[in-house]
Amino acid sequence: MSDISTDQIDLSRHLIKNGPKFRSHIIIFEETRAYLKPTLSALMFCLIYVLVGVFLLGLAAYIYMGTRQVDLVIFLSVTGAAIATFGLILLKPFMKYSAFDKGSDEFSNNADRPIKLVNITSLQITNKIITSKHGLSYPCYELNVLTKYGRRMNILNHNDLAQMEADAAKLSEFLGVELLDCKKEIVL
Amino acid sequence: MKIFNGKLLILIFALFSSSRVWAEEATGFAATLSSFSAGVDGFFNTYFGWFVNAVFFSVPMGDTKFPLIVGWLFVAALIFTLYFGFIQFRKFKLSIDIVRGKYTDPNSKEEGEVSHFQALTTALSGTVGLGNIAGVGVALAIGGPGATFWMIVVGLLGMASKFVECTLGVKYRTILPSGAVSGGPMYYLRDALAEQGKPGLGKFLAVGFAIMCIFGAIGGGNMFQANQAHAMLNYAFGIPLEYGIITGVVLAALVFSVIVGGMPSIASVTEKVVPWMAGLYVGMALIVIFANLSQVGPAFSAIIDGAFTGAGVAGGFIGALIQGLKRATFSNEAGVGSAAIAHSAVKTKEPVTEGLVSLLEPFIDTVVICTMTALVITIAGLNMAPFDGAGLTGVTLTAASFEATAGFFKYLLAIAVIMFAFSTMISWSYYGLKAWTYLFGESGVAEMIFKLLFCLFVIVGATIKFGAVIDFSDAAIFAMSIFNIAGLYFLMPIVKAELKSFTDRVKSGEIKRYK
Repeated sequence: MSDISTDQIDLSRHLIKNGPKFRSHIIIFEETRAYLKPTLSALMFCLIYVLVGVFLLGLAAYIYMGTRQVDLVIFLSVTGAAIATFGLILLKPFMKYSAFDKGSDEFSNNADRPIKLVNITSLQITNKIITSKHGLSYPCYELNVLTKYGRRMNILNHNDLAQMEADAAKLSEFLGVELLDCKKEIVL
Repeated sequence: MKIFNGKLLILIFALFSSSRVWAEEATGFAATLSSFSAGVDGFFNTYFGWFVNAVFFSVPMGDTKFPLIVGWLFVAALIFTLYFGFIQFRKFKLSIDIVRGKYTDPNSKEEGEVSHFQALTTALSGTVGLGNIAGVGVALAIGGPGATFWMIVVGLLGMASKFVECTLGVKYRTILPSGAVSGGPMYYLRDALAEQGKPGLGKFLAVGFAIMCIFGAIGGGNMFQANQAHAMLNYAFGIPLEYGIITGVVLAALVFSVIVGGMPSIASVTEKVVPWMAGLYVGMALIVIFANLSQVGPAFSAIIDGAFTGAGVAGGFIGALIQGLKRATFSNEAGVGSAAIAHSAVKTKEPVTEGLVSLLEPFIDTVVICTMTALVITIAGLNMAPFDGAGLTGVTLTAASFEATAGFFKYLLAIAVIMFAFSTMISWSYYGLKAWTYLFGESGVAEMIFKLLFCLFVIVGATIKFGAVIDFSDAAIFAMSIFNIAGLYFLMPIVKAELKSFTDRVKSGEIKRYK
């Protein structure tokens, strides 16, 4: 594979369509390892769905033991299971272990193919506006890596710019690569 | 984390498994809830009754009293229709073409943008809500079948109102330093009137609108939705109305996670599911109509007769008109100004295009879907004179009417109602938040206070009785239109100039048609 110039790649293009309106992860630095840690608020908001789902399932069980009203039991069970499952799916990205490990010379997020740290050429912070049909609109930011083979991978995706810039600065120092500000003006 | 979750699960199931303990507590719990409901209902009647009376101040007209706010909305829609030369009819095809993407450069489409079919279904799902389901039930229960005719008339006229406000919403939106968009009547009333040399009037109307928008968000956009969602659960599954607090807590928790946590995922799921719910609702209505095709003619006769005779309605045809107009406005929000807040965030460089797209909404919402609901109710024959609201009303009347054709429809309707209620609550939380931050600033603390209040009122709305909720909800929504329409009268020449510029550029080819 040949080196690809960053000029040929649009580094300001975001990799993920959506993003949360809160700080989802921070980066914890150790001597030879830097790993992503989900924030407590991120976990709590996901747990809400799990708790609501479990509550509805419990309510369904209680009603079944009491009145045995089948239609309501089915409705509560299906709704509770759907919400709880949704909550567990939301939790999954927060629970996966992502780390830059100098010992193994690898970055792995347990989802994509690992990247060799030596291949990382730069980090970029990009921005995007999350909009929805409800009218909700807020900025969100991504911290991405670029390898010398042109592969891009997302590291952080949340809307706390100050935290992301701090984490990105420490990470670029940790990896010894440049940090690029690829935020662009949003035009509606 | 895994050990913590396991212990928690065991504890919860142990609690619920102890049925003997719950049986003993059930009676006391129901009594406490009933007392709470009565207390909240009394509170609203006592402390907000003056607000409702003020907004719906009425003058004697024949045998009834005519609320001035109804005339305010009706006359405004008529004036906008005449001023813009019946734009809802002249530019209807252009609106359809814009939504279908005929004026969008296919090469400029960015990754992640939805297709125009998706935009159409999203627009459809955005208009279908409890106003189409519960609101029509209220209109017919109090106004008789004739209220439907006036809903259709108001829906057609209201298209012009929506065109004006949504065009202004895009033209005078503010892009914050972060890139987020803020727009809506607060901004166009303040900024456009300042341009016209009336900054004081602009600020007064903007602040007045913002205050009413907060009430509207809490009333119609929150409490009414939660209330009717639980009423639907009560009808479909027999869950006692006293247990509305449980429905409220569950809904509040989910709303909390979206609006406080900013979890876009559930809102994204809702955006994907709600179009199917809207399609399901329309499908159910069509099944009822086609299954009773022979009764459609008599139903329309009843609608036309009722519109001009108002037989069995308090106040005669004036009463039918009042109910039709109130419910149509509640459903399609034309003239209220809330739609301008949502439409201001759209990616477009041409404000008029968004105004033209938005005028389709009252048509789909009121002229098509509300009429379908009204036909279902009229065909079912469960809504009988005298139309005094003493019998089935609101969502229960609509549900019973659907159930008359197929019993299982009530379950499908229950699912649809809850999805619509949740989706509407998310939307109105945003409108209310924009109004709140306009008044109190964009600080995190100010935002959090509103969001927590909003979640609290979800629980309140699901708990209290129907009468207090709908009275306050109506008053709050209509109060928004007082300030909004007052400003629109001053600003309609601006919209007319924008429209002329746009149509001239379309004719000259400067704005290209791609398909």
